[in-house]
Amino acid sequence: MMAKPNNITLVCNQTSGSPAIRISGLHKSFDGRLVLDNVDLDVPTGKIVSIIGQSGGGKTTLMRCVNLLERPDQGAISIGGETIFSAGNVTCRNLARLRQRVGMVFQRFNLFPHLTAVENVVLAQMHAGGVGEKEAVARAVKLLSRVGLAKRAVAYPEQMSGGEQQRVAIARALALGPTVLLFDEPTSALDPESTGEVLRVMRELANDGMTMILVTHELPFAKEVSDWVVFIDGGKIVEQGTAADVLDRPREARTAAYVARYASSG
Amino acid sequence: MLFSSLADLFQVHWNDYVGNIAGGLLKTLGYTFASFTGASVVGLALALMRLQRLRLVRIAAAFYTEIFKNIPLLAIIFLTYFGLPSVGVRLEVFEAGVLSLVLFYAAYLSEIFRAAISGVHRGQQEASEALGLGRGKTFTHVVLPQAVRLALPGTNTMFVDLIKSTSLLVTISAAELMTQAQLIASETFRALEVYLVISAVYFAICYPVSQSLLLLERKIHAGVPLSLGRRRRLNLAKSFLAEEGADP
Ligand SMILES: Nc1ncnc2c1ncn2[C@@H]1O[C@H](COP(=O)(O)OP(=O)(O)OP(=O)(O)O)[C@@H](O)[C@H]1O
Ligand SMILES: [Mg+2]
Repeated sequence: MMAKPNNITLVCNQTSGSPAIRISGLHKSFDGRLVLDNVDLDVPTGKIVSIIGQSGGGKTTLMRCVNLLERPDQGAISIGGETIFSAGNVTCRNLARLRQRVGMVFQRFNLFPHLTAVENVVLAQMHAGGVGEKEAVARAVKLLSRVGLAKRAVAYPEQMSGGEQQRVAIARALALGPTVLLFDEPTSALDPESTGEVLRVMRELANDGMTMILVTHELPFAKEVSDWVVFIDGGKIVEQGTAADVLDRPREARTAAYVARYASSG
Repeated sequence: MLFSSLADLFQVHWNDYVGNIAGGLLKTLGYTFASFTGASVVGLALALMRLQRLRLVRIAAAFYTEIFKNIPLLAIIFLTYFGLPSVGVRLEVFEAGVLSLVLFYAAYLSEIFRAAISGVHRGQQEASEALGLGRGKTFTHVVLPQAVRLALPGTNTMFVDLIKSTSLLVTISAAELMTQAQLIASETFRALEVYLVISAVYFAICYPVSQSLLLLERKIHAGVPLSLGRRRRLNLAKSFLAEEGADP
């Protein structure tokens, strides 16, 4: 249903206008061990880039660098044209505002267990976004309806299935009107049915033109929604291209081995 | 037989001592609330210190905790009331009593609070920061409410324990319940009767307190929103949902 136009490669390599996310020469090491090794990546506005690769390859670390939950060692990152990190320094003046523009969805949902679904979506609006209470609640209810959870609005996370929790987490990430969304293996902790529910919501966001980075092992889904696919291994981008190129005709042996493994194990 | 011995047992004219008991009770409650408030504040500060990155700060807090956990409360009371004057620090009975209880219970509460705070999953802090909340707001709106839930059972036990421990202040004539009991016993020479009655008074405070705290724990655990703000937001949400025709 999501036939991709043929000019995607051109769009992804576009140089005019500033991309939603631009990462260049990014390095990060933990305890002297290089985890990201000179990573360059552009995500144009409205496009979806999937990051695939073996465990430990640095996918999560790369995502966490984008909203500065992790502080890179070297390189530069800009979001919507604003340089937020450059030459080893955080250059973004307002970290809170940056994070409001970059929504993040975690593998383990990380909902606030002491609050109901609707309060989870309200919290950051009131305490980070400066939105008034009434407006915040109204918006939260709308967002929960949008992810199909109006009926579960006053349930606590522990009363919800994994798929419901992850959809609340998506609503929460959308609450402050982010320009880009980061998904770190959003369906890895879910059963197939819940996975389907979450992917449906993500597909709608994709259709609405949301800019996204998606770390996933769901190769069929990645193929369906991605404009660009990046294979990362040992902290380096090994291969990148359109979904069809990377997933159907991988050039590198490591990519081929990975794709073969995850294509067969679902 | 039993009847006559019971009648024998209760001979004190308690009407004459209602004032003493009431006064003692008020004092006991005064010591309890002042000490518990102080111990909670100091305990929280110590707990936060022990979760700091700076080693020196951590060690200082751990040092405090180990000291006060491993000496008897009575020794602390004697030190603050009888000991300190010899170095020129002369405290009122109330001050010395509250200080002793704060010093002692802060050590225990800090252990409970520290375990509770570090028991809140790291992902919670990340999720909150990823949403744009700063460190402070993340602590007050995300970590602390969850830590309070985890700390509640241990804290409640400590609270009731503190009520009973105020009785040790009899040793510095603190005018609380046990001091009053001692007074009445020395006037009436009816130790058994007097201390039975006083024990009953302690029980009559501690039992309802611990039961209500247990009830509070259960309510919070069941997800009953206690704060007015939360109730207001949930009601708002319900009214919006009703408008949308999606009754929860
Ligand atoms: N905070 C940290 N401290 C030390 N090492 C870390 C830290 N975070 C990640 N690492 C290491 O960095 C490497 C990359 O981790 P990362 O989580 O980014 O990989 P990943 O590609 O997301 O893997 P997975 O598919 O398992 O999620 C791993 O070897 C990991 O052990
Ligand atoms: Mg990961």
